[in-house]
Amino acid sequence: MKKNTALAFVFVAPALLFLLAVLGWPLVQAVIFSFEDIGIIGSQGHFVGFANYAAVLGGMHFWSALGRSVVWVVGNAVVQTVLALGTALVLNQKFPGLRVARVWVILTWIVPTVVVVIIWRWLLSTSGGMINPLLMEAGIISRPIGFFATRRSAMVALILINSWRWFPFTALMMLAGLTRIPGDLYEAARIDGANARRRFTRITWPLLRPTLVVLGVIGTLLSFNVFDVIWLMTAGGPSQATETLPVLIYETAFKGYRLSEAATISVLTSVVLMSFAVLATRAMTASEAGR
Amino acid sequence: MTAFRFVAAAGLALTLLAGSAHAEPVTLTWWQMEQPPQRVKRIQELLDQFNKSHPDIQVKQEPQSWGDVYAKAPAAFAAGNGPDLLNSIPDFTTVIKKIGAVVPVDDLVKDLDTKHHFIKATLAPYQYDGHTWAVPAYNMALSMWYRKSVFKAAGLSVPKTWSEWKAAAQKLSGNGKYGIGLPANKQLYTDQTVYSFMVNDGAANIYKDDGSIAFDNPKTVAAYQAYADLQKLSPPDSPSWTWGEAEACFNSKSCGMVLQFTVISSYNAQAEGDAADLGVAAIPHADDQPESATISYSNGIMITTKDAAKQKAAKVFLSWLLEPEHYGRFLNMEPGLFLPVTEDGAKADSFWNDPVTTKYKSQVETMIDNSKNGKLFGFTTGKVFPSIGAISAQDVLAETLQHIVVDGQSAADAVKAGQAHMTEIAGK
Repeated sequence: MKKNTALAFVFVAPALLFLLAVLGWPLVQAVIFSFEDIGIIGSQGHFVGFANYAAVLGGMHFWSALGRSVVWVVGNAVVQTVLALGTALVLNQKFPGLRVARVWVILTWIVPTVVVVIIWRWLLSTSGGMINPLLMEAGIISRPIGFFATRRSAMVALILINSWRWFPFTALMMLAGLTRIPGDLYEAARIDGANARRRFTRITWPLLRPTLVVLGVIGTLLSFNVFDVIWLMTAGGPSQATETLPVLIYETAFKGYRLSEAATISVLTSVVLMSFAVLATRAMTASEAGR
Repeated sequence: MTAFRFVAAAGLALTLLAGSAHAEPVTLTWWQMEQPPQRVKRIQELLDQFNKSHPDIQVKQEPQSWGDVYAKAPAAFAAGNGPDLLNSIPDFTTVIKKIGAVVPVDDLVKDLDTKHHFIKATLAPYQYDGHTWAVPAYNMALSMWYRKSVFKAAGLSVPKTWSEWKAAAQKLSGNGKYGIGLPANKQLYTDQTVYSFMVNDGAANIYKDDGSIAFDNPKTVAAYQAYADLQKLSPPDSPSWTWGEAEACFNSKSCGMVLQFTVISSYNAQAEGDAADLGVAAIPHADDQPESATISYSNGIMITTKDAAKQKAAKVFLSWLLEPEHYGRFLNMEPGLFLPVTEDGAKADSFWNDPVTTKYKSQVETMIDNSKNGKLFGFTTGKVFPSIGAISAQDVLAETLQHIVVDGQSAADAVKAGQAHMTEIAGK
């Protein structure tokens, strides 16, 4: 047994060493940087103890960005869950063209971020974009609006665009969960006279919940770390309305030339995300055990 | 005999080695930030010509993006992989100087100035701390663009003062058209347009001589107020604009006027392309100011190698590039955008022979005239303070405008907040 364990370690060691090199070392570097006063990347720093942590936690920027990150994550979770669940339920039915629909629904997810940004910037533009004229034709607005011109509309527009991009992936995960629900359960429910709403609340939802919980945890971590769409669309604006923590980290390191401060925010962000992951995993384990 | 053969063979080997070492050309790596394919192609054509005529020097380009280079270049120098030549704008030079990677080019610039006569405004941002830190290569200056036919139909003449400008923008607004397209994004383009208002109200200096911030003053507040008033006549999505959206607004005739370095290329290819109708003028000035000024970006090339042989080779290459017969072709890597920094370059046949430059000759001449009164924030007093790099990179000028346009603050409060932010940056 001991020999087998040792052999297992030998086989796993190269992968572990690789992971330590590419993930562990940068993390250690970030922690080291957070205790120094490095400005421009590549310049020398000096040990300053917890000064960076005191400055970051004592200032407003970190907390404001954390608040916006929470809004961003919750907004994305709600919109993507609604869109993805609806799509998954439709794709779980039998209808002509089902296979084509299941393949093509993922299109928005495979389009590169830069292309997504260009498409949406153009669609939402007041100089030739299609959204404003459509809304005016429909009588929803009386004159063109700037979707990224106000604090609230910018965050809403960004959440919708990001959700538009990601919901097909979530929908496919949910569809996988739906296809695992035995069909005879629905058949039995129908025989017992359960209508569509009761079949959803008594069969679909309870059996899909484990998939939704896992998706919720992974989705939260993925959403929290989204940088590309926000940076390319608004760069955190207008007036910092969409400056989430990843955007703040980039701004601080590469525009403010305060690498150590950025490393400090990164470490604190990692702590927040790790805490969430640990708590969520424990909750899931407890839920599984209680079932 | 054996010893003789050995000595002879060794001598021959040493001679061959020495010969081959001598024949090895000095290779220079040039990081330049002009990535569009046509610009890379034109630069490569020039490099091929230079490398062929100078077999002892080989220059190779490695195109970079302005978005990456602020982080990439310092990291490369720290790792010992930095380039030998590096394109720059004045605030980027302060970043590279701070990490000790740039070499002064005093003698080279003195020689080139004697020979080609630099336009003073293009050289000044690189001269401080007793040295010259880059060789000016090309200039970009903001101008006001409009359509002559649109002005004529509205009965307007070209505005020279802010009150005339506002009246013109109001007259051109309506029926789905916007009198002017001014950005309010927290981005470099807005820094540029805002500063072009500041210089036209006599508020060019953001530093005092002692390095403290002089941003919060009545002239700056008035400039921001004038900008915010005109910005109300811009499209509603202008708080998220970069250069491209403003250019698109002008080309689609949605905007009556825009502030741009140039619109020639896109107007020629995507809009009417009618040179006779394309108007360009100096940016209007405050009513109490005597003349117009603008923001200008003198792009330079820094020598960033400590190797003496490479430094010598770099000087040969830069001298070659500024020769009028080559320089015009270099500038025309994007016709109608890059302006000459030397007096003989401004007259060079190689510059004016380009078909697009020829077609829009009067516009390019006006752009050159405007550029002569160009200034750049942080580089106006002859003293340069390192914090300008971070102030510029963090777009504090644009951020201040957003406090007015997006947050609804008064110009005075916004400028006060801008002063506080700049002071905080300068203190770090």
